[in-house]
Amino acid sequence: MRKMLAAAVSRVLSGVTQKPASRVLVASCNYSKVATFPIKKCDLYRLEEGPPVTTVLTREDGLKYYRMMQTVRRMELKADQLYKQKFIRGFCHLCDGQEACCVGLEAGINPTDHVITSYRAHGLCYTRGLSVRSILSELTGRRGGCAKGKGGSMHMYVKNFYGGNGIVGAQGPLGAGVALACKYKGNKEVCLTLYGDGAANQGQIAEAHNMAALWKLPCVFICENNLYGMGTSVERAAASTDYYKRGHFLPGLKVDGMDVLGVREATKFAADYCRSGKGPIVMELQTYRYHGHSMSDPGISYRSREEVQNVRRKSDPIMLLKDRMVNSKLATIEELKEIDVEVRKEIEDAAQFATTDTEPPLEELGHHIYCDTPPFEVRGANQWIKFKSLG
Amino acid sequence: MGPPLGSNQCRSLIGAPPCLPAVCGSVARNPGLQVGMAAFVATAGRLLGLRAAGTEGRWRRLRGAGLRRALLQPASATGDAAQRRQVAHFTFQPDPEPREYGQTQKMNLFQAITSALDNSLAKDPTAVIFGEDVAFGGVFRCTVGLRDKYGKDRVFNTPLCEQGIVGFGIGIAVTGATAIAEIQFADYIFPAFDQIVNEAAKYRYRSGDLFNCGSLTIRAPWGCVGHGALYHSQSPEAFFAHCPGIKVVVPRSPFQAKGLLLSCIEDKNPCIFFEPKILYRAAVEQVPVEPYNIPLSQAEVIQEGSDVTLVAWGTQVHVIREVASMAQEKLGVSCEVIDLKTILPWDMDTVCKSVIKTGRLLISHEAPLTGGFASEISSTVQEECFLNLEAPISRVCGYDTPFPHIFEPFYIPDKWKCYDALRKMINY
Repeated sequence: MRKMLAAAVSRVLSGVTQKPASRVLVASCNYSKVATFPIKKCDLYRLEEGPPVTTVLTREDGLKYYRMMQTVRRMELKADQLYKQKFIRGFCHLCDGQEACCVGLEAGINPTDHVITSYRAHGLCYTRGLSVRSILSELTGRRGGCAKGKGGSMHMYVKNFYGGNGIVGAQGPLGAGVALACKYKGNKEVCLTLYGDGAANQGQIAEAHNMAALWKLPCVFICENNLYGMGTSVERAAASTDYYKRGHFLPGLKVDGMDVLGVREATKFAADYCRSGKGPIVMELQTYRYHGHSMSDPGISYRSREEVQNVRRKSDPIMLLKDRMVNSKLATIEELKEIDVEVRKEIEDAAQFATTDTEPPLEELGHHIYCDTPPFEVRGANQWIKFKSLG
Repeated sequence: MGPPLGSNQCRSLIGAPPCLPAVCGSVARNPGLQVGMAAFVATAGRLLGLRAAGTEGRWRRLRGAGLRRALLQPASATGDAAQRRQVAHFTFQPDPEPREYGQTQKMNLFQAITSALDNSLAKDPTAVIFGEDVAFGGVFRCTVGLRDKYGKDRVFNTPLCEQGIVGFGIGIAVTGATAIAEIQFADYIFPAFDQIVNEAAKYRYRSGDLFNCGSLTIRAPWGCVGHGALYHSQSPEAFFAHCPGIKVVVPRSPFQAKGLLLSCIEDKNPCIFFEPKILYRAAVEQVPVEPYNIPLSQAEVIQEGSDVTLVAWGTQVHVIREVASMAQEKLGVSCEVIDLKTILPWDMDTVCKSVIKTGRLLISHEAPLTGGFASEISSTVQEECFLNLEAPISRVCGYDTPFPHIFEPFYIPDKWKCYDALRKMINY
C-alpha cells in the first residue's frame, strides 16, 4: 500500500518536474516501453483469416498516435470556431470522432503509399503530412494554404495524397487508377481509396470494384461508415448495410473504427494482402462523427443528442487510447495533458497565421487552368478585363 | 445581452475620433443602448471612411475576442473585407401581384415550388417525387409537407446515385406515370448526363414515337450563392442546350417558377428545371395559390426600351434590370430587358424582334464565356439581324475558369461589369 502511494507520489512529481535523475528513477517502475493489447476480432468476408487479435504498442508510437489524434481533434474544433466567426466560408466538413481512422490508416501504411478520399478530409491531410498551418490557411482561403487558397476545405492535396474530392463517389475510379499505376510501376505500393456509407451506393464505386478485381490492382477500398450519409441513416439508404460485403466478389473485413490500434492492424493486413498481388480488398471502418454533415447541419435533427453523447462517453477514440496507455503505464496522465497543452498552442499559432495571412492575388484567378500552353488571356465578364493564365 | 461594450473596446472598434470613445463609455454603462450603439458606431465608422487596413485588423481582433455576433451584426454592412461579401450582387425585384389567377399568397421561391408540386400531386394521381433527402422536405425545403400529405409511396428518398435517380425516373415516365426527380445541386447532375442526353432526350426519336419519357421533369438548384465554390455554384444549362429532345427552363422569381414548373411537369417532353438557389429565400412575391401555367419557349419583355436589348435568365435578370435603371439614370439610355426563361428551345422571335428595334444586344450569364449559351444567342442574332446591328454583340459572363472559391465576387458578372459593357456598346 505504502509502496503504491510512494509510486503514485513519485509519478506525480516526475510528471511535474522532469529532472533527468528522477526520470531514471521513475522509468524503472512507472513507465513501460511496450504493452500488448487485445483487438476486437474483425468480421471477415471471403477471407480465411483476418488481422491479428492482439497487437503490441510501444510507448513512442502510443504518444505519437495520441498527439496526432489530439491535433486532428483540436484542429477540427478550431475550424468549427473559425467558421462560426466567418473566417472560413463555404463548406466545411469536420471529422472529429473519426480520428482513429485517419491516424490508424497512416500507421498501417508507408509514406510512399497513396491515399485518396472524399471531402471529409482534414484529418487525412494532416496525417499525410500537411501542417496544421497550411490546412487552416487553406480553409480561410489564404496564400499560405496548401492549394494556395484556391481550393478550400474540400480540395487539399500533398504528395501521395490525392484529396479532397467534392463529388461523392468520384474518387473511387481515381483510386483504382492510382493503384493501376502502382502495379504498373512495380514498386509494391498500395492505394487506399476511401469513401463513405452514402457513396457506397454510387455506381462509380461498383465500377471501380470491378476494374480493380479484374486487373488485380493493389487497391484497398475503405468504406468509412459513420452511420449517416448527410442526414440519411444507413438503414434508409442501403439495401445491405454490410458495406464490407458490398464488394461482392472482393474479400472484405469489418473493423472497429474507433480503436486506432484495430485500424492499424487491419490496414497492415489489408495492405499486405494487396502488396502480395492477390488483388483488391474492401475494409469497412465503423466510426462516428460528432459534428453534423457540414457546418450548416446541427447534426441532431436525424439523431438524438443522447446518441452522440453516448458515443463520446463510451467509444471516443482519444479517450480509448488514453485509458489504454495510462492503465498499462505506457504514459502518465500528466504527460498526456502536456501533449494536450502543446497541441493547443500549435493550433492557436496556426489559427493566428491563418487569419492574418494575405489572400491570394487576383491575378491567380486565371492561373493553372491548363499546363504548358503559352499564357493566353482568360476571357470573361467583359472584353476589357482579362486574366493571364499560367500553366 | 452580451458582454458590455467596454470603453477601450469601443476605441478599438472605431479607431481615431476622440469624441466617440467618451460617448461609448457613457453608453457602456447603460446596457439598454448596447445594440443601438453598435449600429450608430457602425454608421459613424462608415461615414468616417474607416475601411483602411488598420481598422480591418482591429475588426478582426475584436471578433476573435468572442464578442457576441449580435453586437457586430449591425456593423457587418460596413468596411470589413471578409464581411463585405455578405452583400448580394443583385436586388430581387418582385413583379406586381398577378390578378388573373385568383387568390394569391406571399411566398418565397422554395414555397412557390412546394405549392407547384402540391398542385401537381393533387391533380395527377400518378405523380411521384423522388431524390436525395426529399422526404423530410429537401435541403432547400422545397418538398416540405408533401410526404405527410400524399404518402410515402409518392414522395420518397433515393440513395446517393444521380445516374440511378434519372435512369429510374426515365423508367417511371416511360410507363406513363409522372416522374419529378430532384438532383440535389446542379453540380451533381453530371453522373446523370448520359441518362439525360442519351436516353431521355432520344427516347421518342429512336422509337419512332412509340415510346417517350415526356412525363419526366428533373429539378435542380442552380447558380452562384455567395459561398458555393466549385461544386455548389455551377450553371450547366449550356451543356444541355446542346441536346435536342429535352427542354431546359430557368425561372427568375416565385411567380414565374410555379407557373413554369407546372408547365414543365405537364409538358410532354422531358424537362430540366433549374432553380436559382440564391433566390430560394431572397425572392418573395405574391403567388397564386391555385395552379396556373406560364408557357414554355416564350421569352418575356419585362421592360420596353429603344436603345439596347439586355437578355438574361434566372438571377441575372435582376442584375440587368438594375443595370437598365442605371443606364436610364446616368446615360439616358432606354433599355429593353428580356427574360429568356426557356433556354431550349429558346424564343428567337422575341429576341430578334427586339434587336431589330434597338440595334444593340447584351447577353449576360454566370456560366463561363466560352461555349456559354450567350454564344448561341449571339450567333443566331448576328445571322438574322446583321444589318440592324449598330455595335458588336456584348457577352458579359463568368470567366473561363472553374467556379472559384475565394474569388467569387470577382468572377461573377455583376452590375458594374454589365454597365461598363453597355456603356462601351453605346459609345461604339
